[in-house]
Amino acid sequence: MELDGNTLIFIILILFLFFSSPGGNGVTSQYEFNQLHLFTQQLETEYSTFQNLTYNSNFKNITGLKLSYHDVAENALINATYPIDSKNYEQWYNNENYLIMPDEITQIIGDSIWNITGNGEENIFPPIITSTLLGTITLNSNDKYSRLRMPFANFYEPPRDFSDNIPPVGDTYMDDWEDYNEIHNVTFAKGEMKVQFTHVDKVFTSLQGKKKKYFNSQDENWKLLNVKVDFTDKNENEKHSINTLGVYDIKTGRILAMSESAKFHSLFALPHYMGIGMTKAGQKQTFEQSKKLINEYWNTSKYIDTLTMGYINTLYDDAIEKCEFMMFFQLKPWNQYNKDQLKIIDDELKWPLGRPANLTHVPDIVVTSGMVYSPDCGISLSTNDIHGERYELKIRSIRIHMLCGIFLFAAQIYLLLRQMQHTNTPSSVNKISFYTFCMINLVDGCLATLYFISATLVPELYLPLVISAFASFILASIFETRYLISVYASQVNERNVGIITLLRGRTEDPDAANERPVVIPDEASISSSLYGRFAFTLITFTFLILNSMSWPRHFRIIFEYSAIFILNSYWWPQVFRNAIKGIPSRRERERIENLANRRQNKVPLLWKFIIGTTFIRTLPIIYFFTYSSNIFRHHKDTRFVVILSLWLLFQIVVLYSQDILGARWFLSQHTIPEGYSYFKPVSLALLKEHGDIDDMADTANKGSSGDHPHNIIAKVDCAICMSEVPVYVEELPETHGVDIHDYMVTPCNHIFHTLCLENWMSYKLQCPVCRAPLPPC
Amino acid sequence: MSTKRISKELRDIERDPPTSCSAGPVGDDLYHWQASIMGPPDSPYAGGVFFLSIHFPTDYPFKPPKIAFTTKIYHPNINANGNICLDILKDQWSPALTLSKVLLSICSLLTDANPDDPLVPEIAHIYKTDRPKYETTAREWTKKYAV
Repeated sequence: MELDGNTLIFIILILFLFFSSPGGNGVTSQYEFNQLHLFTQQLETEYSTFQNLTYNSNFKNITGLKLSYHDVAENALINATYPIDSKNYEQWYNNENYLIMPDEITQIIGDSIWNITGNGEENIFPPIITSTLLGTITLNSNDKYSRLRMPFANFYEPPRDFSDNIPPVGDTYMDDWEDYNEIHNVTFAKGEMKVQFTHVDKVFTSLQGKKKKYFNSQDENWKLLNVKVDFTDKNENEKHSINTLGVYDIKTGRILAMSESAKFHSLFALPHYMGIGMTKAGQKQTFEQSKKLINEYWNTSKYIDTLTMGYINTLYDDAIEKCEFMMFFQLKPWNQYNKDQLKIIDDELKWPLGRPANLTHVPDIVVTSGMVYSPDCGISLSTNDIHGERYELKIRSIRIHMLCGIFLFAAQIYLLLRQMQHTNTPSSVNKISFYTFCMINLVDGCLATLYFISATLVPELYLPLVISAFASFILASIFETRYLISVYASQVNERNVGIITLLRGRTEDPDAANERPVVIPDEASISSSLYGRFAFTLITFTFLILNSMSWPRHFRIIFEYSAIFILNSYWWPQVFRNAIKGIPSRRERERIENLANRRQNKVPLLWKFIIGTTFIRTLPIIYFFTYSSNIFRHHKDTRFVVILSLWLLFQIVVLYSQDILGARWFLSQHTIPEGYSYFKPVSLALLKEHGDIDDMADTANKGSSGDHPHNIIAKVDCAICMSEVPVYVEELPETHGVDIHDYMVTPCNHIFHTLCLENWMSYKLQCPVCRAPLPPC
Repeated sequence: MSTKRISKELRDIERDPPTSCSAGPVGDDLYHWQASIMGPPDSPYAGGVFFLSIHFPTDYPFKPPKIAFTTKIYHPNINANGNICLDILKDQWSPALTLSKVLLSICSLLTDANPDDPLVPEIAHIYKTDRPKYETTAREWTKKYAV
């Protein structure tokens, strides 16, 4: 292989980029290397301090814990540099002289939050609590308590210019910043809260490690949790989210989690704060066990060796943008079970084999009481009514609901197939509204895409999601789009015709009609263009939906409601179409059918299809809007569902009225002037012109002989089927037994069977004989 | 509907066969016909008999029949597969047309080719620039394949 200079440079460049890319820790410059080094040093110092910490000694040089609430209460501008002269580091009590929260809060936590001590009667708490809990949060006060000063080391700050190599030294006191209050406050009185608990059982043992390792030797009594807490006001204008580690004490049902940032290394604070409200002996035991848990986690995950730049940056951003929060939760005991039963339930949820665990009666994970306190912002909040299903149970119930969904898809496919059988001729498909099925198809297509996307996101539900996606995909892209293509193909000759022209059934300007290119588009070209258009609309709409999930609640709800409302107006285009096509009333249709049963006179949509489709499509909406503990925890809004159902009912009533009274009953005759009528008696002159004089004379003679007074005596050849068309001739009373709806006379005076010409007009609006343009009928 | 119309056309063709053409179904299948066209005397195809296969679509007469030459023919509007470029067999189809009318149109296409809308551009080019050469080749091909 020959290499010229350029290729060589290119290859070298690629190799350089490849090898010079940041390693696992994300360090890309000397400055960052120094930052990471300082961070490691800081943590190592703090960890060794933590090692020497006992249940009976104070925090020393640990970020965020250097001051106590009492220190700040005495001197609001105290300098948090260790050691502080007035401080006693060799003892520890759970009061504001040592804790970073006021006694009032400690009192509340001890008395009314963590009040199940486990000393008296034995309480049983669920060992595994992976779940998403929802509830509300109330602001107790945001200005009552002093704000604890929490400085962070300056080396966290990003470099000021590119030549900077050495991170700055010293500490930053953020509460001196002017806009500190604006960002760091909770201003709503009542909001919504979401808590997600995930167990941290196994950890990676190196930065690029593939294997995870168990670390917890006290698995029976202690759990390390990943706690994600979001709370926001009702309108989601103000959002606070915390993602951190927490400790769960299974014996007492206490969960403690503290946010973590550059100004608060909360991991080291957990053991002391777990013991609030306990006796001295209890404090000692709790302290030692939770310290052991943190040590095991620290050592197994090689905490110091796996630090990354990304982690430093997150800590820095959180320090600047967020308040620190300490969250105290008390779980509700599951005293109805004993430990063995709980084990059976957990095993059954993990590996469903049919053990005797009554999974339908497993209660929710409930936080009976909870307290959220921010030491550096002085905010105290309390939680109410926080509960949620075990994650595995939730997955199970979603699976069941999705099975019902698949059943609905199957029912919709069946109904659509019946509808397709019902309209199997071009003239009957022609009466179907294209847009009605567009709307139906858009919803199904969207569901298919959303199912596909979520199948990649939720591995536990992969199979049911893929099946649902497949079912909705089949429905949308095979059956509905096929049907749409045939509807489109049957209406293709009306594409450039105005509504008024369609209503009147007359071309206003014959020349203009002539100029229209008359092409019979084949189905292949229609389907490719339609598939393209649908793919585009679908992708746009799906992205809009996905995007809307991150919008503020207000906009999201407006979008959701209006989208549901618009997409559930799917019968209106059909009402419109019926009016354009002028479907006659039921009585009229029956009359015509009795006269000439050859002609098809059906309502375009089967009633079975209309009712079934409406039902299938409204059912999920009713479920999500009225059943308050639905699987998506969608808010309850019965009024909207009632309005929506009435709206759909109204559409069906209008469709029914069109069926009974005729499709144009709501339009006065004034607005639709009588257009060209294809159904009219034939004059004798016209009959003669068409060269049937002999025939006519013949039959006329026969008729006049009186043998067969009801015989059809005037006939013309239909150029389409090449058989005879009996016609009604004004001048010949013998022909008056012929129904004028059986044949059609074009404006160019050619006569065809109604069925033949209607069929041809679904392909092209052009006279088969003389190629003159035909008005739509 | 299409069956009725096709059998009607068959009866008409049998009763009153068009000049220099003949057509009829292959076997029992009413939708598959075979036709033959005599080369028009005033054309280089004179003396040849050309066979065509005809397939009626199920929605005949609303869609045109599919007609193709089975005999090789040298013509600007007919390609090596026998496909015919004729507007009434495509977008200018009308249900009032019948098979015999279409066959007559093909006959006249043999007499007067339409080199401005060719299917085989090479032949069309020769047709326009070197008419004697075209006629010689067409005659040779007729002799070779159609006699």
